[in-house]
Amino acid sequence: TQSTWDQGFVIKMAGSGYDYDVSTLSPEGKIYQVEYAMKATENSSTILGMVCKDGVLLGTEKLIVSEMMVSGSDRRVYSVTKQIGMVITGLLPDGRCLIDRAKEESASFQKQYGIPITGKVLADRIAQFMHMNTIYLWARPYGCNIIIAAFDEFGGPTLHLIDPSGQCFGYFGCAAGKGRQIARNEIEKLGAKNLTCKEAAFNMAKILHKCHEEMKEKKFELEMSWICPETGMTHQMLPKDMQKEMEIRAQETLEKEAMADVQSQIMKNINICLLYTSDAADDTPCVDLGGRRIIKKKK
Amino acid sequence: RPPRSTPKPSSAASDVYKRQVHGDYLIDMESIDWSQPIRDGTTIMAVVYDGGVMLGADSRTTGGALIYNRVSDKIEPIHKRIFCLRSGASAHTQKIAQLCRLYIGQLGSELEETPPVYSAAKIIQSFIYNYKSFLSAAMICAGWDPIKGPQIYTIPLGGTLVRENIATGGSGSAYMSGFCDTHYKAGMTRKECRDFMIQSISLAMFRDSSSGGIIRLLDITKDGVSREYISHDQLPLKQNNYSQSCLLYTSDAADEGLGVDLGGR
Repeated sequence: TQSTWDQGFVIKMAGSGYDYDVSTLSPEGKIYQVEYAMKATENSSTILGMVCKDGVLLGTEKLIVSEMMVSGSDRRVYSVTKQIGMVITGLLPDGRCLIDRAKEESASFQKQYGIPITGKVLADRIAQFMHMNTIYLWARPYGCNIIIAAFDEFGGPTLHLIDPSGQCFGYFGCAAGKGRQIARNEIEKLGAKNLTCKEAAFNMAKILHKCHEEMKEKKFELEMSWICPETGMTHQMLPKDMQKEMEIRAQETLEKEAMADVQSQIMKNINICLLYTSDAADDTPCVDLGGRRIIKKKK
Repeated sequence: RPPRSTPKPSSAASDVYKRQVHGDYLIDMESIDWSQPIRDGTTIMAVVYDGGVMLGADSRTTGGALIYNRVSDKIEPIHKRIFCLRSGASAHTQKIAQLCRLYIGQLGSELEETPPVYSAAKIIQSFIYNYKSFLSAAMICAGWDPIKGPQIYTIPLGGTLVRENIATGGSGSAYMSGFCDTHYKAGMTRKECRDFMIQSISLAMFRDSSSGGIIRLLDITKDGVSREYISHDQLPLKQNNYSQSCLLYTSDAADEGLGVDLGGR
């Protein structure tokens, strides 16, 4: 018998009974609450990161919620330490809580060991922290994906993607959010490992614009950051004018590519067609390829 | 510090030990202060040479006037390429080294790399500084890591942390400071460094009553760690150098100028 709560639901949820708390496993071996948390990120802003020849890049696209909002106040990319940056997507308040935790972990690591925390260690610790919320009854999982970009003496430039289940992997290029499929394909095609950060940043702007294409009518802005020799291997936001210039260039390039696509489609359907004047059409042997009439002088 | 005098109640059983006959002399065991904490009185030293770092120490552990261990090992392992030298109260330094070993082990497995020597020194410093009113410990932390190469960090009593290329510590270090200042040079070879350290430590052991025994040496390089010890008969300065040349004269013999042979007869 259904409880009174269920009467409000139109769609019967896939979990049906095994999804009420995160400490329950379904008979197929899934934890539905964790899967629902991952759904929270699937429809949110795209985030992506790339490891380049000389550094790391992070980027995200964000919808402008209101014209009245002060630009730059809806932050997604944060510096955790001088050489580590994080970007969040999904439930943003959850993400900001994780960024605070990351700052605490980094500070306590530095206090104890005297060296700055490395990207791999921080990513492992944050992943463990997120995972902790998937095993206890009284907590819910964090509904966000985060990408941690870091540079340290041990691992060089590193990139880690963490999802709500607490899984954490190192990547050369990764993406999460709505446009992750497009972004992942583009990043693979790009081969950022052979580009410098400056070259790859333009490509990142292009990819982010491309990911946003389905929602063209909604206004959006980009947030991009990098760790590269230009910043002394510290984590900085891309300079505003550089970012603007790259976005304009990216949009133009995308438009050109779109035009080129359309043109190539059209060109396939056009056959070469010669002009015939009505006169020339009558004088069959007297028409050359230019469509001109050949007048033979009759002797 | 001067030995504290504590009241010693005498019972029948302990009367036996009050007087011991040692050769021609009677030793009044009661006047020796047995309540002194066990200390690594010590001479410890570490030197960076071209290719690695070498650590050296004497081997005497004292408790007041008694030598508890004449072949003790003051070189403590912290990690595969990180070691520390202990001086001060043995209990304190052993505990600090043990805790440092624990934390650096955790760091090494988290980083999955050779942990930096600086981190080990930082951990030792945090104990000595934060508990300085309870502890009497001065330590030298030395080792090799892939990022900075061979390093030495001294952490004296107050808890400062200083990186040096040559570090000395312990009560014996005062007696060899002149020698070290004169004869140390940067970028020595392994053999030069070894000879330099053996000479300095034996000078210190010769004059400091809290240092003695054998010299223990440990060599840390990128490729590995090797240990050796220099036993007392191989020391450049032997402890009984002077006593051999100091003969007993009775007052009679002193009057008979030329009539005294080497035995003092």
